[in-house]
Amino acid sequence: MVRGFGGAAAFPDEVWELVFSFLAADADRNAVALVCRGWHRIERRSRRRVFVGNCYAVAPAAAVRRFPEVRAAAIKGKPHFADFNLVPTDWGGGAEAWVEAMAGGWPHLEELRLKRMVVSDDCLELIARSFKNFGVLSLVSCDGFSTAGLAAIAANCRNLRELDLHENEVEDNCLNWISHFPESFTSLVSLNIACLEGDMNTSVLECLISRCPNLKTLRLNHAMPLEKLVSLLQRAPQLVDLGTSKFSADHHPELLSKVESTFAGFKHLKSLSGIWEAGPAYLPAIYSVCESLTSLNLYYATIQSPELLKLVSECKNLQRLWVMDLIEDNGLIAVASSCKLLQELRVFPSDPYGVAPPISLTEHGLVAISAGCLMLHSVLYFCRQMTNAALLTIANNRPNLTCFRLCIIDPHTPDYISQEPLDAGFSAIVESCKDLRRLSLSGLLTDRVFKSIGASANRLEMLSVAFAGDSDVGLHYILSGCKNLRKLEIRDCPFGDKALLDNTSKLETMRSLWMSSCSVTLGACRQLAQKMPRLNVEVIDERRGRPLESWPDDFPIEKLYIYRTVAGPRSDTPPCVWTV
Amino acid sequence: MHSISPSVKPQQIGDRVQLEMELELGLALPGSDRTPELVGVHGEKRASLCRKRGVDEMLGKATLPLFIRKDNDEDGDDDGRQSKHLQELNFGSRVLVGWPPVKMWRRKSDDCGRRRANCVKVNMEGVAIGRKVDLCLHDSYQALFLTLTQMFPKKQHDGEESDAAYYKVTYEDEDGDWMLVGDVPWEAFIQSVRRLKILD
Repeated sequence: MVRGFGGAAAFPDEVWELVFSFLAADADRNAVALVCRGWHRIERRSRRRVFVGNCYAVAPAAAVRRFPEVRAAAIKGKPHFADFNLVPTDWGGGAEAWVEAMAGGWPHLEELRLKRMVVSDDCLELIARSFKNFGVLSLVSCDGFSTAGLAAIAANCRNLRELDLHENEVEDNCLNWISHFPESFTSLVSLNIACLEGDMNTSVLECLISRCPNLKTLRLNHAMPLEKLVSLLQRAPQLVDLGTSKFSADHHPELLSKVESTFAGFKHLKSLSGIWEAGPAYLPAIYSVCESLTSLNLYYATIQSPELLKLVSECKNLQRLWVMDLIEDNGLIAVASSCKLLQELRVFPSDPYGVAPPISLTEHGLVAISAGCLMLHSVLYFCRQMTNAALLTIANNRPNLTCFRLCIIDPHTPDYISQEPLDAGFSAIVESCKDLRRLSLSGLLTDRVFKSIGASANRLEMLSVAFAGDSDVGLHYILSGCKNLRKLEIRDCPFGDKALLDNTSKLETMRSLWMSSCSVTLGACRQLAQKMPRLNVEVIDERRGRPLESWPDDFPIEKLYIYRTVAGPRSDTPPCVWTV
Repeated sequence: MHSISPSVKPQQIGDRVQLEMELELGLALPGSDRTPELVGVHGEKRASLCRKRGVDEMLGKATLPLFIRKDNDEDGDDDGRQSKHLQELNFGSRVLVGWPPVKMWRRKSDDCGRRRANCVKVNMEGVAIGRKVDLCLHDSYQALFLTLTQMFPKKQHDGEESDAAYYKVTYEDEDGDWMLVGDVPWEAFIQSVRRLKILD
């Protein structure tokens, strides 16, 4: 007899499994698993997807044991600031332990996504051999492998659908790795090799493309000359997502018309990237696809403003635009009036280390976008000047922002009109944008802004802070507020011991905390580590060779990485890392 | 300052020809108006409109120590001081590691044939024998200076130990200009450096 909610035994396991299969979010499945032992058992045996945000938070064997039927796994390694060379290269994040555990416990694994991990060729070979039905390999910001490892994947993964290599450091020692895909291999749907350095054998690639009718995504590296690119693309008019190679060549009317006709042949193209070194000669060939594009990435295109403006103005259905600051305010004003469906904008600095700002990209461009693009929810913006008034306007225009990352290039830059700190502006952002999940601060900021963030940013999950604040109070506001905070990364701020020690339990509710060039002492780390056994408190110091034990309590910490874990201190720390 | 056009051996075909200087040849005109190629995002070489400073101009700042060689390893706050010192080398915030936060994921488009190791010759004024240093084995200016210290130990003229000895290190970049080491972020530096010279 069914007694309401209580008995798991009221229905056979399969029924519960079916019910649980409608729960996509891990948080929901985790909640289900806590209801009763029966549901815990059923849920764990039916979980198909696992996401491990920090590879050291749990032992691989434990994860594999708990969820024996996983088909898709995603694992992240190094802290985000590794992207900016703040994390020593030997810090860790090796994938071996995970790949070995998965090879043993998840023979039916189909999808593996690794981010910021060190992946060796041995790992790739193990992956290639261990999973019979392997379909998706995605490596993002990884290093440690070579094209020889990729050859193993190509040769052995008979059902590979997706090979996504995004911004990895790959050693090129096997130039013809693509030829290791057997002739019988036809299952490719997505191939992203944009990060590879070497030349590709175009005819081999052409053969591969021709025999994979389901290919939807193709992102090439820069090396392929435009001529060869065109003949390759003619084999794949069904592409939905294209990343071109070098988009410049000596002007040749015949080549130009070939490029034009190739692009005109793309009836389904939605996403365009690559376009390395695009010259004004060949750029107009793209216009025929502009109207259907929903995503345009001009990160690698050194196009100047007039051509850029013309190009983006054609893209009426754009939802995502990544572009260099060469677009300037004028270009963004044009985007604001042409691209009414824009949801995500990223503007990168073309000359991040330049002294004089020759580029006319200011706060005005962003304000225009915020006014014209009603669906805008995600912003990454590099610029050199900002005002509180502009931020207030943006906040009022776009309360639907979920991601706001502003990088004013020179640290401590105030509101350039009032010379005030930018506290008021950023406070307006967090107070107005109730769904803000990610925020990056920059410019001159005092503790006041942290008070606002702590109080208002209730949905905030990730916060990046640099060169900001006056004292420990700033950090205290964050740690005592921001109830959904998961990741906090801080550099060059006067934050120290007191805020950390007053908020120790907060750290266990977060995935990780990174602090570098702040004012934390070793003594505080020791106290923290002692109080919180389920945190790994890693002190990173590349300057000295002596062991941590001999340092005094008042020793200033260079870099600190704290993360919650059920696996205890890790065993693979390099010489520059100590777990306190 | 005169400029001798060097004998060049083109290493590879492409837009930029990599020069291999067999002999110690002259310097390009300092303070030239050519727009220098600074390394921008993702290792891209982008024209910058900022003028590079000539060596004369830079050496005028005689009191600025570029790196500090510690003969004695002292505890605690010295390290704080040293790292803080490096952080204070702010030529318009260009020496901060990892700032601005752009991914320096490299694209070696023009030197596809280049090997992984990045060896550059190092010569010191007054020292006959030059050395070679592999920049790929270093990840920061501090690491590089440590190596240079070991390669070219500074003689103490007074006979007494001084806590720190200062070297001025210059480098020749891909345009043939001689620049003061430490001006640009590390990632930008290793992309453009061709050889080093330590001045006494």
